Amino acid sequence: MAYQPKPPAGWIKTNFTYYKHSGSWAWILHRITGLGLTAYIYVHIYALTSLTQGPKAFDDEMKLFSTPVFKVLEWLLFSLVLYHAFNGVRIVLVDWANGARYHKKILTVVYGLGVILFIGMGILMFSAHGSSIVASTK
Amino acid sequence: MYKHEGSRGSGAPGWVLQRITGILLVVVVIGHYFVMHANPASGHTYAAVLERMHQPFWKMFDLTFITVGLWHGLNGTWGIFRDYKMKPAVSLTIYGVIILSGIAFWVLGVNTILSF
Repeated sequence: MAYQPKPPAGWIKTNFTYYKHSGSWAWILHRITGLGLTAYIYVHIYALTSLTQGPKAFDDEMKLFSTPVFKVLEWLLFSLVLYHAFNGVRIVLVDWANGARYHKKILTVVYGLGVILFIGMGILMFSAHGSSIVASTK
Repeated sequence: MYKHEGSRGSGAPGWVLQRITGILLVVVVIGHYFVMHANPASGHTYAAVLERMHQPFWKMFDLTFITVGLWHGLNGTWGIFRDYKMKPAVSLTIYGVIILSGIAFWVLGVNTILSF
């Protein structure tokens, strides 16, 4: 029987099934968080145009943003910022500081510091004790 | 090599600038978090924001943030699209949407900052 080459897999199947190293996941996450943050800049710029409509419009909007739903969204946004910033530093180290030799170790630091700071921010934002620390900086 | 494959440039300037703006944004975003979120009252009341907006330093800070942030985000977005083989018409459309929406929102943001 003659050799039958396999037909090429579709784009989606290829992307979902090829073997992913830790660095592949870092790369995928960097892109997803980057797209999310870019979308957020647009929302952010649009939301802050309320500053030009006077104190009431702005303060009403801030009241809306301090409701629990928006606080949780802000907290989740912080996770995108954390990952993208730390992994961005990792990329710069790999490109410019011989980081290819230790990029997996940096990745452990990226995830570790990220989780710690994310939980820390959660405590600051949502616990009574955390809120009192924030309030005392007034 | 790229010169023989229909590309106008190597893309290197964008690549270097993506790293430089990225480092800058890490620094600026730390400042932004402390100013805006360490103390919600000073960050988010109209009076406090206006007081900052009247100081040249914070105007420059915000203008830098908005310009560098948008450029970094949109250059990154275009970089993602560039990884996929697209028909020229699709590619041009996406590039156009990125550039035009970028300019529009940059003007919107700068207008907010400079209204005070």
